Amino acid sequence: MMVDENSTGIWVIGEEKEGKLAPVTLELLTIGRQLADSLRQELVVVIIGHQLEHMSRLLVDYGPDKILLVAGEETRYFIPETYSEVLSALVEQRKPFAILFPATYDGRDVAARLAAKLGVGLAADCTDLKIDEAGRFVQVRPAFGGNLMAVIHQPTARPQLATLRPRMVKPNKSGRKVSPSVEYIKPRISAKPFTKSLLRTVREVAEESGNLDEAEVVIGVGRGIGSSENMRIVNHLATLLKAAIGGSRGVVDAGWLPHTQQIGLTGRVISPKMYMALGISGAVQHLVGVRTAKEIIAINKDPEAPIFKVATFGIVADMFSVIPLLAKELEPPAPQTT
Amino acid sequence: MRIVVCVKQVPDVAEIRIDEVTHTLVRAGVPSILNPFDEFAVEEALRIREKHGGTITAVSMGPLQAKEALFKCLAMGVDRAVLLTDVFFAGADTWATAKTLAMAIQKLGYDLIICGMKAVDGETSQVGPEIAELLGMPHISYVKRVEVEMESKSITAERMTEQGYQLIRATMPCLLTATKALNVPRIPTLLHQMAAKKKNVEIMKAVDIGAQREEVGLPGSRTQVTKVYTPQYRTGGGTILTSENLPNAVATLKELLKKERIV
Ligand SMILES: Cc1cc2nc3c(=O)[nH]c(=O)nc-3n(C[C@H](O)[C@H](O)[C@H](O)COP(=O)(O)OP(=O)(O)OC[C@H]3O[C@@H](n4cnc5c(N)ncnc54)[C@H](O)[C@@H]3O)c2cc1C
Ligand SMILES: Nc1ncnc2c1ncn2[C@@H]1O[C@H](COP(=O)(O)O)[C@@H](O)[C@H]1O
Repeated sequence: MMVDENSTGIWVIGEEKEGKLAPVTLELLTIGRQLADSLRQELVVVIIGHQLEHMSRLLVDYGPDKILLVAGEETRYFIPETYSEVLSALVEQRKPFAILFPATYDGRDVAARLAAKLGVGLAADCTDLKIDEAGRFVQVRPAFGGNLMAVIHQPTARPQLATLRPRMVKPNKSGRKVSPSVEYIKPRISAKPFTKSLLRTVREVAEESGNLDEAEVVIGVGRGIGSSENMRIVNHLATLLKAAIGGSRGVVDAGWLPHTQQIGLTGRVISPKMYMALGISGAVQHLVGVRTAKEIIAINKDPEAPIFKVATFGIVADMFSVIPLLAKELEPPAPQTT
Repeated sequence: MRIVVCVKQVPDVAEIRIDEVTHTLVRAGVPSILNPFDEFAVEEALRIREKHGGTITAVSMGPLQAKEALFKCLAMGVDRAVLLTDVFFAGADTWATAKTLAMAIQKLGYDLIICGMKAVDGETSQVGPEIAELLGMPHISYVKRVEVEMESKSITAERMTEQGYQLIRATMPCLLTATKALNVPRIPTLLHQMAAKKKNVEIMKAVDIGAQREEVGLPGSRTQVTKVYTPQYRTGGGTILTSENLPNAVATLKELLKKERIV
């Protein structure tokens, strides 16, 4: 394999859904700006979609030197086969040094296909990306359920690909005064007969349940909740805390929460600022999903529950007595009647 | 219908401990298991075969001891088990793994390939989509329901998203990656397990799949792990209050929420 020493530029592949920019895009730009500055290279953000005219306005403050908007009928919906084809054409033309994707369901899919198409490396689900003293791109990622961190280099191929977990950095406005150039590109897709199509998109998670990846606060519900009817109380608390709701496998298997909301080894790995575990025992398989949470609050009536071993604050009590008290504390005071 | 299921033997992540003194991973005594997600993949293959007929081949790349994972697949009911084992394959990253598996699958023949959504050791979710790309076929990842239509040779599947699912149709050959929402894997009986141990696990080496040394294993890998360490999480040691003075405990919690600027 030959490394093209002329490869230059940090690319960020943004995520756009139904006209909205996913917050992780701004996180990627923030970290991308740091990498680009260390290397004195340009930072390019690529958004693929349909109608993207309003996108550049949302991106400018976060420091890209260039905004590439790939918009067309062919890329209206996320199809990883198509998106990776579009990206591979761009990469071969412009030869970037590194490409960052969000470690979301879609981001991982398109990154993997692109890596295989180009025959380059891909570090998945990174928690940190940096440039070392030698000017090498360093990727840090957990493995074995977060028991181990691996430091990764990609010395033999360009571009170097990585997906970054959401919520690893705070989106930061760059404060740069130069305005980026904006370029519109029409997607070019080979004439291959379409072998795949998106028939329907279904939302199962209630709007108010939030997004587990993006929420600052996540409430984790365990079997201690007892029944699906009791979820009502948790929903109320979640609204007060602007929290997303996830749960243990026990709760998902019982059908009280959709599968998308399971946290842990066979579910999702999240990094909220605060994780509030209600009636969760704290099995290892569950805990591997919340290790990088800043605070873990545990409410469980069993003082021996393993969750208390990892909690940064805990109350040994019946959740049904704690939640109403807490909700009352958090509710805005009733309007004064005169 | 030729179904190939890719399975990996992994250490039971729940059993891994960190040595308090050396801060290293204690792997001694940690049992090796079939990757949990691959069980869903195998189970789904069995269900598809029950409905539409065909043969299932389980294929794994790994050291000789990975036979154990393949015996489990045989006990569950797959027709054929293939172990890709060779010193040339050692040290493979996801690209080299996908390359090796794709070359083997090419030899084995396929209409449908099923992988787990991720392996719980490497946790990349990459190998499946990379195999699909290398074999030039579509893939549907994070699948939670599958329907096969034989006449049109197509798959309709529900793909999990952050907020629900997408309904996607693809023509075969096609690759799927399995989530736990797909099914409840059968547990093989002791009798089946004993019978499986007598079955043959076919061994394939680099020469058998036509792989050159530089394209597989460590030399074929694009990523290099230069260092590993055990992370320190800020966990435990927190204040634990009891229900004796619940209003006080709740007030403390509210203070914490305020301090963290959550409320
Ligand atoms: C291969 C494998 C993969 C797995 N993957 C996952 C995974 O991804 N995610 C996951 O979560 N699990 C996973 N598990 C399961 C895991 O081992 C545990 O069984 C599960 O996390 C337990 O869920 P729980 O804490 O809700 O239930 P339980 O263990 O039953 O705990 C319920 C807790 O609620 C408390 N409680 C009861 N009533 C109240 C009350 N009124 N007030 C306060 N507390 C109360 C009890 O004291 C108890 O501690 C996996 C297991 C295996 C083998
Ligand atoms: N060495 C391997 N042998 C066979 N299948 C594998 C191997 N590594 C990964 N896979 C398959 O790819 C899936 C995803 O693995 P990963 O990309 O490592 O998270 C697994 O669930 C398996 O189906």
